[in-house]
Amino acid sequence: MSLRQRLLIGLAVLFALIAIVAPVAAILTRAFGDGLGAWWSAIVEPETLHAIWLTVLTALIVLPINIVFGIAAAWAIARFRFPGRRALLILIEIPFAVSPVIAGLCFLLIYGAYGPVGAPLMNEGIQLMFNLTGIVLVSLFVTCPFVMREVLPVLQVTGEDEEKAALTLGANGWQIFRHVTLPNILWALVHGAILATARAMGEFGAVSVVSGAVRGQTMTLPLQVELLYNDYNTTGAFAAATVLTALALVTLMLRSAIAAVHPEAGGRT
Amino acid sequence: MSFVVQDIAKTFGGQKVLESVSLSVEKGEFVALLGPSGSGKTTLLNIIAGLTQPDGGRLEIDGEDITRLPSGARRFGMVFQSYALFRHMTVADNIAFGLRVLPRAQRPGRAARAEKVKALLELVEMPELGNRYPAQLSGGQRQRVAMARALAIDPRLLLLDEPFSALDAKVRQSLRSSVRSLQKKVGVSAILVTHDQAEAWALADRVAVMNRGRIEQFDTPEMLRGAPATSFVADFLGIDMLER
Ligand SMILES: Nc1ncnc2c1ncn2[C@@H]1O[C@H](COP(=O)(O)OP(=O)(O)O)[C@@H](O)[C@H]1O
Ligand SMILES: [Mg+2]
Repeated sequence: MSLRQRLLIGLAVLFALIAIVAPVAAILTRAFGDGLGAWWSAIVEPETLHAIWLTVLTALIVLPINIVFGIAAAWAIARFRFPGRRALLILIEIPFAVSPVIAGLCFLLIYGAYGPVGAPLMNEGIQLMFNLTGIVLVSLFVTCPFVMREVLPVLQVTGEDEEKAALTLGANGWQIFRHVTLPNILWALVHGAILATARAMGEFGAVSVVSGAVRGQTMTLPLQVELLYNDYNTTGAFAAATVLTALALVTLMLRSAIAAVHPEAGGRT
Repeated sequence: MSFVVQDIAKTFGGQKVLESVSLSVEKGEFVALLGPSGSGKTTLLNIIAGLTQPDGGRLEIDGEDITRLPSGARRFGMVFQSYALFRHMTVADNIAFGLRVLPRAQRPGRAARAEKVKALLELVEMPELGNRYPAQLSGGQRQRVAMARALAIDPRLLLLDEPFSALDAKVRQSLRSSVRSLQKKVGVSAILVTHDQAEAWALADRVAVMNRGRIEQFDTPEMLRGAPATSFVADFLGIDMLER
């Protein structure tokens, strides 16, 4: 191994230590600094428990919508030439390009109580922002590209002939999807769904704008962590952060497990 | 069974890919579409299979107009150039697919399906390979599975798109004769797409020579070689018009 190679590897390790290992270690030492008991009582604080519940609930609502939308969009783009196809391809990347806070503000402007969509609905007694609906809407916005981006390349290189063969053999649309398309894209789909879920659970900026930050009601975990920290409740903040960290680590392990078994599904990030 | 293609036309983005193509296939007959790459052979086969809609013209089987009939309702068995085997299914499940997706009332039971798969595996001479996956087969074996899968639906017409092009020369020779004998044994009419004239001569009763979306001549191999109708046919078959 040349000196240059060693230097490069050393730099990479150093970077990983500074950027990844040190913060995680800091979270863990702070969270467990006052003992396991203090950590546990911080977790079971009603407000923190509610934040965990709200975060999981949001992820669970967003997940199936992401899956259906992601597959539909990827399939349409991979298999058909239609007007607006290129526009859809660009449009779907917007959530990656726009700052989440800006996205949250846009949602507030349009769907808020004084917005063009929000105001008429408000008169009907339907409130879209500062509640679960708002949180779900912006979470959908920031996560909608993931599934499509994972599934599309797989659909583009595989399965078109198989789908045609199934068609000539008399299969209907659902049978083709169930028996031919889905098995082909399954692991890419799972991979995209995991990424989207991790993002939904960790999103801070967009959610903080539309949630209204009502204590014990519209606080997701990332918001709750900040709230506790600003309250000088360090143990509480870091305990809540351990839950987020654990969710992230589970995601990471699921991803590498899939990449190990199905290299064709993972890999790209 | 008699199959008629009448004045089929197709345009892709302003480019005329097929112009007034007509063709007929008699019961049990083997017809080859022969022509250079890009002459429209695959497009014509896809239109016959119902995978592409023609802009004009008519398809008829035993007098029944099937131009607008959905692909699955035509009961035409198709062997794709890539074979298009379902990679997540075993060989047996691949072959049984066309039976499994039938509406409940017409679907044979599990035992009947297994019986049929077994018979087809024997027909294509791979009786022990039902539990394999496509990735575990040789090119020649994949082609035979694709044949068996297409035959499983008791097709009214067998469509073959360059079924030998992915194989090496030796396997190609032996599979050629086995495809022809299979087709004879089953008694199904067949249309083969190829750019290789040796293949057309070896397999077909009649050959349609295609050029730029038109059929230049549709005749028996003897007539094509003995009396090429156009200079393109003569050139393509390598016949020197002046020497004759
Ligand atoms: N889906 C399509 N869209 C646009 N052009 C196509 C499409 N399919 C085929 N073509 C064009 O039609 C012509 C004939 O193609 P094809 O039928 O595949 O020829 P062959 O099978 O004889 O090689 C080619 O010029 C090809 O580029
Ligand atoms: Mg072709």
